[in-house]
Amino acid sequence: MTQYEIGRLLRAGTTGFVVGCRAAQIDAPSFGALVRVSLDGDYQVYGLIHDIHIDDDGLVRQLVTAEGVDEAVIADNRVNRNVPLELSVLTVGFQLDGKISHLLPPRPPLSLDVIYLCSAEEVRQFTGSGRFGYFRHLLRAEDLPVGELLAAHIQQAAAAHAIAGDVEWKNAATQELITLLRDDYSTLMSVLGALGDAS
Amino acid sequence: MALDFLQVSQQVKQMGETALQHQADQKTRLAETRAMLEGCAAEIEQLQHKVQDVVRNYDQTLRCAVPVNEVMNSNHPLPPMLEHVTLIAADGSQIFADRHAEVEYCLVNTGAIVMMCGSADAPVTSIRSRLIYAEELEGMSDDRLSLQRDLAERTRLLELATGAPAPVITLTDGPLELWTTTLEEGRVAGEFKKSLDQYLAVLSQLKDLNVVTAGYVDKPGADLVVRLLEVAKAEAGDLAEMRKFRPFKGVTDRELFKDVLQPGERSAIFNIQSRSSKSYQGELGLHFFYLNVGKVEHPYLARVEVPAWVAQDRAMLDSLHAVLVSQCRMIGPRAYPYLLHRAHETAVVSLEEKDQVTTMIVNELRTRGLEVAGVSAKQYNKDVSGTRTRYGT
Repeated sequence: MTQYEIGRLLRAGTTGFVVGCRAAQIDAPSFGALVRVSLDGDYQVYGLIHDIHIDDDGLVRQLVTAEGVDEAVIADNRVNRNVPLELSVLTVGFQLDGKISHLLPPRPPLSLDVIYLCSAEEVRQFTGSGRFGYFRHLLRAEDLPVGELLAAHIQQAAAAHAIAGDVEWKNAATQELITLLRDDYSTLMSVLGALGDAS
Repeated sequence: MALDFLQVSQQVKQMGETALQHQADQKTRLAETRAMLEGCAAEIEQLQHKVQDVVRNYDQTLRCAVPVNEVMNSNHPLPPMLEHVTLIAADGSQIFADRHAEVEYCLVNTGAIVMMCGSADAPVTSIRSRLIYAEELEGMSDDRLSLQRDLAERTRLLELATGAPAPVITLTDGPLELWTTTLEEGRVAGEFKKSLDQYLAVLSQLKDLNVVTAGYVDKPGADLVVRLLEVAKAEAGDLAEMRKFRPFKGVTDRELFKDVLQPGERSAIFNIQSRSSKSYQGELGLHFFYLNVGKVEHPYLARVEVPAWVAQDRAMLDSLHAVLVSQCRMIGPRAYPYLLHRAHETAVVSLEEKDQVTTMIVNELRTRGLEVAGVSAKQYNKDVSGTRTRYGT
């Protein structure tokens, strides 16, 4: 199976982690994408990218004021300079001994662990396991743009399921969200609005 | 609070008052200097002979510019940039020996970067780190280490220039002339001579490779041309006291050429007359020109030092001129060659990295059962009282 490495872990907690990557690696990961960190043996932690953060520094601030930035200078800053991009990831589950769980992992990944973008097959395995238990991690994260994140995730996951001929996954996911948010009208409207925009 | 701000503020006020008068005096001197430049700009041969006469008969230590063959107040427009140039910059940094630290060692770090101008490819960076310890540390003063660093920069340039696609331009920050304070005298003169010989050999090899090499001096404070104009002004009676004859004292070359050079223009080429420049003979002879890398509303002058083989080759000089202006414009309003800045970034050793190296050495020695002297009591007390960020101690 092709593994797409997107970066290495900078810092982590039980509920989330931050990945550093070079600018040259940024074309693959996207907002809402499912990623995984392989730890010892069969232990893997899964998460959803909820923020992509691009840092600057004094030189970059100065370069933006130059009249026309040379292509080689852009490449130099993206390839050579130590100004990493940060991807913030919300932990949504783990895999241990071949079994996927939508609970929080027993321990977070460690510094410099490699983070991979999940393939369509891995997305299907994770999102098709259980009954959307990982949604509660997203709905609990009040500081995040929950509606946008869910819409981006559901769109990407639905595409992965559709490739395998499962067109019902999206409806089932939406129904589950309506059930979970039945007592929170404003969030439900926000999520459904975002899903509507995404479809 | 370690500063008595009341005392300082009174002194700052006095400083401001005297600065006003000083500025007025400077304006007058600058106008006189400019008039002198206008008056004798074309007297190239006369001035060459007069400088030689002063050095031979009155002041062997005279340090000034010597006109070569271009009218002294001439300005040379920005030439077109070559389509493809290999540009290489190197810069060095160091960890000086510290007898108060846990272990004594030095380190020379050389950062280099190669850019293929005219290509969109990312430049290639490289680092060379050399630890200096044990017997090599003996007599290693800060000056000697700086000399090692300068030599390492130039040697690295030679390594990278060898085999690089022509035309090749190499850049270092600062003058081309190796400069030291104490090494030229006393017991370490031999060490300086050895390093100088190595440096001259590197320069010769760069010449053999047909490489354009230059030293870029940002915000130059020198008065080499101003001093030449003082020589020009000196009457026969003044020559005997040439060292004290300073009618334009305080005026810098940068101020002198600020209104002469338009953005992108360079000045005439000058030779450097100094006691130490005698070591740079023939094709290695030290030359320089001023370059306005600023804008119409904000002129900004740099001094560019080149060896004779570059100064005497119009095509080389033009390619260097064009590349430097292009590099300075790349970085935005604070004009400085982009690649030199990147070489510096690549080379610089941070305080954290220094601490890591120290820890690595201490661990290695302790693993092998060796005794580590530990920090001095003075350093320990400084560290625990958190004074490491205090300026200048």
